[in-house]
Amino acid sequence: MPEQLWFTEILNRLFGGAVTALLRSLSIEPKHPGAPITNAFAMELLVFSLLLILFLLVRSRLSVESPGGLQHLFEGVEGFIQSQSNEVIGHHSEAYTPFLAALGLFILSSNLIGLIPGFESPTAVPVVPLGCALCAFVYYQTQGFKHAGIGYLKHFAGPMPALAPLMILIELISHLARVLSLTIRLYANMFAGDMVTLVVFSLLPLIFPVAFLGLHIFVSLLQTYIFVLLTTVYLQGAVGEEH
Amino acid sequence: MRKLSKLFMLLSALSFAIPALAQGTAASAPVNWVAIAAGFSMAFASGICALAQGKATAAAAEGLARNPAARPGIQLALILGLALIESLALYTLVIIFAKVK
Repeated sequence: MPEQLWFTEILNRLFGGAVTALLRSLSIEPKHPGAPITNAFAMELLVFSLLLILFLLVRSRLSVESPGGLQHLFEGVEGFIQSQSNEVIGHHSEAYTPFLAALGLFILSSNLIGLIPGFESPTAVPVVPLGCALCAFVYYQTQGFKHAGIGYLKHFAGPMPALAPLMILIELISHLARVLSLTIRLYANMFAGDMVTLVVFSLLPLIFPVAFLGLHIFVSLLQTYIFVLLTTVYLQGAVGEEH
Repeated sequence: MRKLSKLFMLLSALSFAIPALAQGTAASAPVNWVAIAAGFSMAFASGICALAQGKATAAAAEGLARNPAARPGIQLALILGLALIESLALYTLVIIFAKVK
């Protein structure tokens, strides 16, 4: 039985049997049949449900005449992402704001939840940033196809038709390298932050680790911003037109 | 005279390595070359990353000093550049965690 957080243990007690049965029906054998839900997955579910409750709360309290504090906050978030994608992509970038905002809020909450004792950041496990990077990858590729149809494939061919065989290979590898770099950047920042915090706590347990927790907050914010900014830049590469 | 005394100081500093000869030819435990290489490679990666980030920050600060009105664009380019350079040092760290036992 692995070491479980209290939330993971509650989930495993309630749903463990059903989840193991489901995995076995797909011929996947869980590593610990008594606890098929991992810590990272339980934390992801928690972040997802908290965000969902928050969005429903904001939605129910939307008002034009007297906006509350929460509405101001979310209008600020939407305005920030909207202005940034306008700067990078240019025209008609409002369509991409929902995905970018949801991605940014999910990654931010996942990073910050690790600060609360009793919880851990799901992004400190390699699979979760991979999931976020794959979502971003699939999103910008489908937006590219939606914008230009089958002509999107011309983006991979390079400037001259004579160079196309070489360029297709290079472009393919560079697009896959984007997924890798997004994943490893987020994972390594969160994981290294955890390691550094552990080391500092083992050296000076009393007052100095607070500075490292502050560093963790700063790094979480910065890495979320970078992830969303890079997804916006990749979107610009996929749907941007040169006039 | 000064040169001779410097030569003698250098030789006496090198003689600190004499106890290494006491080990003899027996290898009691295999040398963990992976850990040693990991230490050196992480040091190289961090050092060169720091140099590159210093260059980027200096260029951004100078650009901002010349043209304070271009602050949003310069800030965007700076943050993006710093994060991309940082991630290169982090690739080395990930390889270390994957390979060193």
